[in-house]
Amino acid sequence: MKRESNNQAVLQIRGVTKHFGDKTVHDGIDLDVYPGEILTLMGGSGSGKSVLLRSLIGLEKPDSGHIYFKGNDIVGLSEENLVEVRKRIAYVFQYGALFDSLTVKENLAYPLRAHTTLSEEEIQKRVVESLKKVGLEHSLNLLPSDLSGGMQRRVGVARSIILEPEVILYDEPTTGLDPYNTKQILNIILQLKKQGATTVLVTHDMHAIFTVTDRVAFLKDGKIRALGTAQEINSTKDPVIQGFIQGESW
Amino acid sequence: MELTKSFVGYLILRTWKGILHLFGFVGGALALIQSTIRSLFRPPFYFDLFVDQCYQLGIRSSSLVFITALSTGFVMALQFGYGLERFGGKLYVPKIVGMSIMRELGPVLTCLMLAGRVGSGIAAEIGSMNVTQQIDAIRALGTDPLKRIVIPRVLAMLLMAPLLTIFSDLVGIFGGMIIAVTELDITPDFYFYEGVTSLKLTDFSLGITKTVLFGLLISFTGCYYGLNTKGGTQGVGKATNHAVVTSSILIVISDFVLTKLFWIFEKS
Repeated sequence: MKRESNNQAVLQIRGVTKHFGDKTVHDGIDLDVYPGEILTLMGGSGSGKSVLLRSLIGLEKPDSGHIYFKGNDIVGLSEENLVEVRKRIAYVFQYGALFDSLTVKENLAYPLRAHTTLSEEEIQKRVVESLKKVGLEHSLNLLPSDLSGGMQRRVGVARSIILEPEVILYDEPTTGLDPYNTKQILNIILQLKKQGATTVLVTHDMHAIFTVTDRVAFLKDGKIRALGTAQEINSTKDPVIQGFIQGESW
Repeated sequence: MELTKSFVGYLILRTWKGILHLFGFVGGALALIQSTIRSLFRPPFYFDLFVDQCYQLGIRSSSLVFITALSTGFVMALQFGYGLERFGGKLYVPKIVGMSIMRELGPVLTCLMLAGRVGSGIAAEIGSMNVTQQIDAIRALGTDPLKRIVIPRVLAMLLMAPLLTIFSDLVGIFGGMIIAVTELDITPDFYFYEGVTSLKLTDFSLGITKTVLFGLLISFTGCYYGLNTKGGTQGVGKATNHAVVTSSILIVISDFVLTKLFWIFEKS
């Protein structure tokens, strides 16, 4: 189950370990993420998927090991030096993490105001464009509390992609959503992939995994137990993975 | 015997937890102060957020400060008026009220009120942002929570705590005058002359200097507990509670230390 590719990996994870107290979350993880692919991190609750995802943008620091973004190790970077990385890698939070005191428009304008010198007119244009991509261009002046859970997540995606990042990290983007909003989010993920974005997805949603994913990494006991295409993982004989997929054991 | 043993064990455990919590707070708060000072002089500067916090934390606290100061002035004048009347010292009321409000009650009561309103507000707001991943979102979007969240609040408190205390001093002295005039048969001219002219610049500066420190204690304590909130809404409640209790205790303790230091300074 090895990826046949000559592409240089966008993200390279090498020997990453992470402990919380006595619990070993990551025990020497090695993984590559290639340009334009959708890689899903799969595993049970507490298997360290979200922690690994957060490590890719410096929100968590591994105890040891390296994470290379385009060849540069980001593990030792200070918050100040991580800014450049965070402009190029976007993170979509599980529940959107919208700033609840700001309107949808202000939420989307936030990264543009922080990192660009665009005029207010240009910012407004970019905000509307980004909202159109998630089908919420009429929600400009609403507060996050006025939106449904699914709409909040779509606004969260719109905010994350407004700086046109090269890599997008999604933390359980469809968990708890109705089928309509799930489909909307999956369509957005596929649309962004078509536009060239590299995607790392954390999800429990089997439908999502087998609909949009190119490759799947299965985490268990702090290690990557299996890595392959969605079909390979689906048809593996590994009883642990089959038990997980069938919902019979973890 | 078993009950006594378990009670003693419980007390030891609680004390040990308290000590650990204290060390955790001191270490964490000092680290926060260090990071804040380091971030303070680096761009970008969010002046609009500072102005907004001056309004939210300062201006919106003015009615609370007004009521507290007015009541304090009333009570002080009444207590000293009736107390000193027995010794024929009623005419000292303006001096005593003015000095005690300016040196002690104005700064301390104003900042205790601010610890309750502002400290809890800061901890609850930042704590809620923390548990809903909004603080992580600020970082993930390549911006600095210290610059956007902590520094505007700390600077706003640094400015507004002394300003509110000046407001509180004036209202408190005015409150004392109302009682002096209506209850103690002291004329407004006499109250004003005795109350204000007997005050020295050091009485004023002592009180105001204290509030600079109190403002920092309130804002940093609120920010520290907010940023370290864990465990959802229950965690937000705990953070709010800790912020108010800790900043109130710190105000009372530092008030004694500063007063003692000022006494030594004044005597020398």
